[in-house]
Amino acid sequence: MSLAMETGLCQGNDDPNPNETLKIPERLLKRDQARLKEAERRKDVKESSSVAEENSDVFFTTFNSERASIDALLSTCTETTRENASEVLEEATIKTQQLQQFLNDSMMFLTPFNLKQAQATLQALQTSLSEKRDEVLPKKKFAFKSRNVKGKTTLSPSSSITEIPRAARDKKTTVDTAVSPMQCGFSSADSQVLIKTADEIQQRDVLLSHLTGCKVRLLGSPSTLHIKHVRDCEILCGPVSSSVFVDQCTGCTLALPCQQLRTHNTKDTRIYLHVTSRAIIEDCQGVSFAPFTWTYSNLDADFTVSGLDRNRNNWDQVDDFNWLAAGTPSPNWTIIPENDRKTSWDELLPASSE
Amino acid sequence: MGLLTILKKMKHKEREMRLLMLGLDNAGKTTILKKFNGEDVSTISPTLGFNIKTLEHRGFKLNIWDVGGQKSLRSYWRNYFESTDGLVWVVDSADRLRLEDCKQELSALLLEERLAGATLLVFANKQDLPGALSKEAIQEALALDDIKTHHWCIIGCSAVTGENLLTGVDWLLDDIAARIFTIE
Repeated sequence: MSLAMETGLCQGNDDPNPNETLKIPERLLKRDQARLKEAERRKDVKESSSVAEENSDVFFTTFNSERASIDALLSTCTETTRENASEVLEEATIKTQQLQQFLNDSMMFLTPFNLKQAQATLQALQTSLSEKRDEVLPKKKFAFKSRNVKGKTTLSPSSSITEIPRAARDKKTTVDTAVSPMQCGFSSADSQVLIKTADEIQQRDVLLSHLTGCKVRLLGSPSTLHIKHVRDCEILCGPVSSSVFVDQCTGCTLALPCQQLRTHNTKDTRIYLHVTSRAIIEDCQGVSFAPFTWTYSNLDADFTVSGLDRNRNNWDQVDDFNWLAAGTPSPNWTIIPENDRKTSWDELLPASSE
Repeated sequence: MGLLTILKKMKHKEREMRLLMLGLDNAGKTTILKKFNGEDVSTISPTLGFNIKTLEHRGFKLNIWDVGGQKSLRSYWRNYFESTDGLVWVVDSADRLRLEDCKQELSALLLEERLAGATLLVFANKQDLPGALSKEAIQEALALDDIKTHHWCIIGCSAVTGENLLTGVDWLLDDIAARIFTIE
């Protein structure tokens, strides 16, 4: 009875608005449908727009059709159609570049395998393009070299002819680089006393090369100093404004002030140094350092000319590029103990060299 | 909107560029970097490792990497190639003896796949020295005209006086900006 009462009561509660029991599910249903529709719509939008491009199938279809069109372009271009061959090749080159760009842009969503494949295809395409160019327009590269008259008369220039301008150019480069009005120095000397005065040196690049057993005095302020392939020499130099390069030096004694010292491939060499920034060694062994002690009459004036700071000398701070371990000192260089340091230098007069 | 578009837009918003400065030792890379940043250039030491500077110029944020040029460090250059927008190749115009070295190192770099998209700026540095070769001579010695794979430009400059440094960097920025930030 009480149960019936309760159900009755429940029913009674619902009774006053019987429509509502139907309305709620209907509203829910509608909302659900609307939601599904919206999802569908979004999906459509998504598929129809940008994401379609970010799909490897789509990518490959486009990629392959582009590649085929470039291939076709290349095959139309033969030796017989030389007049317009260059235009065709140009077009093919541009298309290939565009294809490369397309691949680059698509890199994000391609699998590594697909990417590799596409890159290989592109590589092959570029190879065949350049082969084609060589075949159809064999000497295009050299057309602007100073032999256009010659080039016109030569129908099929042999490879030896194409070598000429290149060789000539290389030769010119070497000549160009070797001769400098601003360079002076000594080279290829054996057991001599070699002296340069301030007038000869002042703010020039000085080069000392292939010297053996010589005593060299540079009484002035060079802009840079190069010391190369030198054996058993004593080289004393005035303040160098910028860098000193030492390369392939063995058993030498050097004394010089400079801004930077760069030492390479050098063995068993003692360097009396004034350096305002840093000295470095690379591929060196048995190099030892001490403060600069040499002096000559015009040293003070030359220091002024060079612009070097006399009060800053980092002679004992040497960076070894082959010894990057911090904390442990490099085994390739040492400091010359104080009692072993040279304090007096032979006085050589310019006259004695003549 | 695709992911790539988003990334491009992000990069655009930041207007950030990565420049890698390389060249033989003693070319003046660190001096250029410091001069450009307005620092003292008289006490620069040969670079053992690398320097990075981030600076703002013309509304761009530039990350400039200056890596040491000593022979023993050159094998590490490749560690810095990734996502480089611009390559600055610095040449000591007065160092005639090593121009051939310089040419070879540069052409090896240009074959690097990871630098394929980078713009190349060549600084013919040390034009203030009386013995310096002209930028035309450097252009020929390095065979720059044979470069077909990169956008390039050569500028004669002096890191010590600061001459033409801005001209070079401005050209580089313009070229990179035209390439990267195209969606404006």
